[in-house]
Amino acid sequence: MSTAMNFSSKSFRPRAPDKGSFPLDHFGECKAFKEKFMRCLKDNSYDNSLCRLQSKEYLECRMDNQLMAKEPLEKLGFKDLLDKPSQENQVKP
Amino acid sequence: MICNSKSKVVCQFHVFVMLLSIFIRESLCYPKNSFLLTSTHSCIRGLQVQRAKGIHSYCQWFLCRRVPSRLNIQKRGVKSRKSQTRSQEDDWRKRNKTVLTYIAAAGVGMIGLSYAAVPLYRLYCQASGLGGTAVAGHNAEQVETMAPVKDRVLKITFNADTHASIQWNFRPQQSEIYVVPGETALAFYRAKNPTDKPVIGISTYNVVPFEAGQYFNKIQCFCFEEQRLNPKEEVDMPVFFYIDPEFDEDPRMARVDTITLSYTFFEAKEGQKLPLPGYSLTSQHS
Repeated sequence: MSTAMNFSSKSFRPRAPDKGSFPLDHFGECKAFKEKFMRCLKDNSYDNSLCRLQSKEYLECRMDNQLMAKEPLEKLGFKDLLDKPSQENQVKP
Repeated sequence: MICNSKSKVVCQFHVFVMLLSIFIRESLCYPKNSFLLTSTHSCIRGLQVQRAKGIHSYCQWFLCRRVPSRLNIQKRGVKSRKSQTRSQEDDWRKRNKTVLTYIAAAGVGMIGLSYAAVPLYRLYCQASGLGGTAVAGHNAEQVETMAPVKDRVLKITFNADTHASIQWNFRPQQSEIYVVPGETALAFYRAKNPTDKPVIGISTYNVVPFEAGQYFNKIQCFCFEEQRLNPKEEVDMPVFFYIDPEFDEDPRMARVDTITLSYTFFEAKEGQKLPLPGYSLTSQHS
């Protein structure tokens, strides 16, 4: 919370996350995917747009290992990554 | 809630001003049969301060400054004096009329304000977020439909803090990440418990600059929930977030290029429940 006592400026109000809290990955089940993502970030000078595939894979790993509520990936903002394989399938035949 | 009690105060204030305008109007318009004058007279009589006559004249002078001759008409009038008082009376009457119209306009204005105050205050509360009301425009469904604003690159820097009493090693795994509004992003923190006892931590976060904080939406993270670390355990803590695409359209955010996300961990006693900001625990469990 902001400690500045001026009424005119808006103070920051922390908001709860939309989908709650991630359970802790005590057994490191998705550590490999995380390492892939971190390496991708380092290679691409920390540009998130180029590493979205790796972040999608990390979240899929979490969902598979009961570390995250299963959600359709469109709801997590990965709609563009899901459309591409379907487009490729249409082009091939 | 602050907002609800303040709207009541506004109504009370309006009533007070209405009474005040009635008071002034009465004293100028009907000095002879004024209800208020008689009430003040009785009030003063009750006090028994001085002789009645002295108080009476003092009271008139105070309340009916403009028309003193009405109540204490001097019978020893000279003809010239009569015409003078008549023109003076006309003058006073004209002045009274203008003052009356101003006061009537103010009264009507106060009525209008008191009606307008309720929706206006609601808007103000929404904009400023006082009393915990939700900030308009934060829609959980928009993650599906939002389009990334590719030409606005923002740098998100990460900061990790721990309270003095918690002995965890808590740090971000990347110092910065470049995102665009409308795109979901993932970031990691790492926490290690070097002690020989399990420690439960609970965290909160802060976003700087404060105005950008309303556009910073977390889909999932590790805050506001107890996180238990076993002895000598090290875990990765992800934060899944996005910047609202409306960030690009806000003129106040035009010069903002860097947003800093800062997490702070505190030690929690077993079973301690922190008041969560507008978040019910029952809806959390997946």
